[in-house]
Amino acid sequence: MITMNYIASFFLIVLGLYCIVVKYNLVKTVIGLSIMDYGVNLLIITIGYNPGGTAPIFTEGELTAASTFVDPIPQALTLTSIVIGACVTAMSLALVIKLREQYGTLDTREIRRLRG
Amino acid sequence: MSSFNILYFLRPEHFPIFTIMAYFLGAFFIVLLGKNRTLRNIIAFLSTGTALTLLIALIKPIMLNHQIVAYWMGRRFPAGGYAIGIALEVDALGLFFGLLIATAVFVSCLYSFQYMRRDDNEPQYYTLFLMLAGGVMGLVLSGDLFNMFIMVEILTFAAVALTAFRNQVTGALEAAFKYLVVGCIGSTCILAGTILLYQQAHTLNLAQLATIIPGNLNTNTIVAFALLFIGFCTKAFIVPFHPLAADAHGAAPASISVLISGVLTKSGIYGIIRLTYFLFQLMNLGAMQFWLVFLGSVSMFVCVTMALAQHDFKRLLAFHSISQIGYVLAAVGLSTALGASAGLYHAMNHTLFKGLLFLAAGAVLHETGTTDLGKLGGLSKKMPHTTVLFLIGAASISGIPPFNGFASKWLIYQATYEKAVESGNIGFAFVTIIALVTSTLTLASFVKVTQSVFFGQLPKECENVKEVPFGMRFAMGILALLCIVTGLLPNAVQTYLTEPAARTLFRVTEYINGMLGAGYAENTMGMAAPEAATISYKIVGVWNPLNWLVLLMIALLSVCIVALASRYDAVRQNKGKEVAPKYSLFYGGEDTVFSQVGGGDLFWGFKHNWRHYFSFMHDLHSGIVNDYSLWAVIALALAILYALIVL
Repeated sequence: MITMNYIASFFLIVLGLYCIVVKYNLVKTVIGLSIMDYGVNLLIITIGYNPGGTAPIFTEGELTAASTFVDPIPQALTLTSIVIGACVTAMSLALVIKLREQYGTLDTREIRRLRG
Repeated sequence: MSSFNILYFLRPEHFPIFTIMAYFLGAFFIVLLGKNRTLRNIIAFLSTGTALTLLIALIKPIMLNHQIVAYWMGRRFPAGGYAIGIALEVDALGLFFGLLIATAVFVSCLYSFQYMRRDDNEPQYYTLFLMLAGGVMGLVLSGDLFNMFIMVEILTFAAVALTAFRNQVTGALEAAFKYLVVGCIGSTCILAGTILLYQQAHTLNLAQLATIIPGNLNTNTIVAFALLFIGFCTKAFIVPFHPLAADAHGAAPASISVLISGVLTKSGIYGIIRLTYFLFQLMNLGAMQFWLVFLGSVSMFVCVTMALAQHDFKRLLAFHSISQIGYVLAAVGLSTALGASAGLYHAMNHTLFKGLLFLAAGAVLHETGTTDLGKLGGLSKKMPHTTVLFLIGAASISGIPPFNGFASKWLIYQATYEKAVESGNIGFAFVTIIALVTSTLTLASFVKVTQSVFFGQLPKECENVKEVPFGMRFAMGILALLCIVTGLLPNAVQTYLTEPAARTLFRVTEYINGMLGAGYAENTMGMAAPEAATISYKIVGVWNPLNWLVLLMIALLSVCIVALASRYDAVRQNKGKEVAPKYSLFYGGEDTVFSQVGGGDLFWGFKHNWRHYFSFMHDLHSGIVNDYSLWAVIALALAILYALIVL
C-alpha cells in the first residue's frame, strides 16, 4: 500500500517535470511546477507514515510505550512546503499576466528576447 | 534566568541570530514606516550596518581562536545525543561567507540610496532587498537542512521579484519567469533531497546528519546527494544553469546584480561545500574531485567564451561572473588545503571586483540610459572617477598585479598544478591551462569593454552625460579600496580569513562536536570519524605582488618602447601614402563611419576563426524556458547516474 504512495509521488514529480519541459504554454508550465510540488508533498507525508499510526497529538499521561503514531516532523515540513508552493503559483501567475500584457502571447517560443 | 540582563544578549553566541534578525526586521520596518525616504534609508543603513558589525565582532573568536558558535533556538539543547531543536551554527566557513555577504549587502545598500532614487516603489525595493540579504545570511549561518531549504526559497523569491522589479526594461519579466521556473526545479530538488536524507537519518540537523550519512551510503542517500547537489548548482548558476544568471543580471538593477553575483552564487557554492565536505564527506574520492573540478573548468571556459560574444555590458559581466565561479568550484574541488584556501580567496575577490564592475555598469546605465556596448563610447571624459574605478575592477578580474585577482588566481594555478604533481594525474595540469587561457580571454574581453565604453569616440547621445552622484562613487570606492588592500596583503587575508575557513573543511569532527558537544563525533562514528591529519596543511605561494607589478611595468615599458619605435618608422615610411581603413588593424574589412572600434569588433578575427563554435553556442542558448528546464532535467539525470555509478 505504502509502495503505491512512493510510486505515485515520483510519478507526479516526473509528470510535473515533463509538463515543464514539453508544454509551450506559460500557464501549463505553472501547472507543471505545481504538480511537481504536490509530488514532493506526497513524498514527505509518505516518509512520515507509520503503519497503523494515529495523529501525533497526545496529552500528558496518554502517551505510552505501546502507542503508535505517525512522525510529526514531515507533516510540519509539508505544511511549510504547501505554503511555499502556493507562493510559487501566485508569483508565477502574476508574472504570466504581466508577460501576456507585454508580449501579447503565452507561447514560450515567442518569449525569447534574451538569448545567445 | 531570573532577571533581565542586557549583557546576556551581548555574548557572541547570540550574534548569529541577531544578524539574521537585523535584515528581516529591517524589511519589516520598511514595510511599516517606509513612506518617508530619509526614515527608510536610515532603517536600511542600520539593518545592513548592524549585521556587518555583528559578524566582524565574531572574527576574533571564530577565525582566530577556532571556536564554533552554536545557537539553539528557544534553548532546546540536544537531549540523549539527539538534536531536537533548530540550530544555528557558525564555524569559520559560515562566518567567511557571512562576512562576504554582509559586506556586499552593505555596499550595495549605500549605492542604492542614489541609484534607486528615480524608481517608483522604492519601499518595496528595500523590503525585497533586505529579504534577499536575510535569506542568504540565514542559509550560510544555519545548522539545519530544512532551514537551509526555507532560506533558499526566500532568497529565490526575493531575487525573482527583484529581477522583475524594473518590469518596463526589455526582458525583465522574461528573465524573472525563467529564473523562477528553473529556480523552483532546483528548490524542489533540495526539498526532495532533504526529505530523502530525513528518511534515512531521522534528523535534519547538519552535524548529526554528518555523523550518520557517511557510514550509510545506499541508493537512497546517493540519490539525495545528487538532488541536493543539483539544487545548489542552480543557486550557483554553474553550467548548465548559466543562461539564467545572464538574463537576470541584464534586467535587474545594478545594485541587485551585485547581490545576485556576489551573494547568491556564493550561497550555492557554500551549499556545495557543506554537502560534499561535511554532510557526505566524499571529497577524498577521486571521482568526486573530478566531478567538481570538471564542472568548474567547463563553467569557466564556456562562460568566458559566451562573454566574448555579448553586446550588452551587464550581460557580458554576468557571464564573466559565472566564469569566475568556475574557478572557485574547480579550486575547492581539488580537496587540498591550498586549493580550498585559494578557492575561498577567489570567492572573496569575486564578490569584491564583480560587485565593483556591476556598480560601474550601473553608473553608466544611470547616466546614459543604456548598456548596449555599440551605443556607448568615450565616457572617460565625462565620467573620469567611474572610469578609474571600473579599471581597477577590470584589472582585478583579469588578474593583473597588484590587484586581488592576481593573488587568488596565482594560488589557483599553483594549487591545480601541485595537485597534478601530487596525484600524478595529468588532468589537473590541464585544468591549470584552462584557467590560464580563461584568464587571458577575460582580459581580452575587458579590453574590449573598456575600449568600447570608456574610450574611443563619444556618441552624440552621450554628450550631456555627467559624473554620477557622490554616494554611488563612494560605494564603488569602498569596493575598489578593498580590491587593492586584499591584493596587496595576501598573507594577512590568508591568515585572518581564508586559512581558518579552509581549515574547517578538513576538520568535520570539530564542526560536529561544536554543535553536539565534545567527543560526540568520536563516540558515534567510532573509527569512521574522519581524520583531520590525512591532508597535510601547508600554505605555500608566499610572494610579493609588488615585485610582480614592477616586472609587469618593465615588460609593459619595453613593449611600449619597441612599439613606439617601430610605429615611428612606419609613419615615416608611409608618409604620403593613403592607407585604406579596410586594411588597418582591428577592422572587419568594411569602412567604418567612426574611428571608434565598435563593441563587437575588436576581436573580429578571433571570433571569425571560431565562428562555428560561437554560432553553435548562440543557437544553443535559445532563450526558451523549456530548453533551460530540459538542461536542468538532463543535469539532474546525469548527476544521479554518475553518483550511483561512482559512490
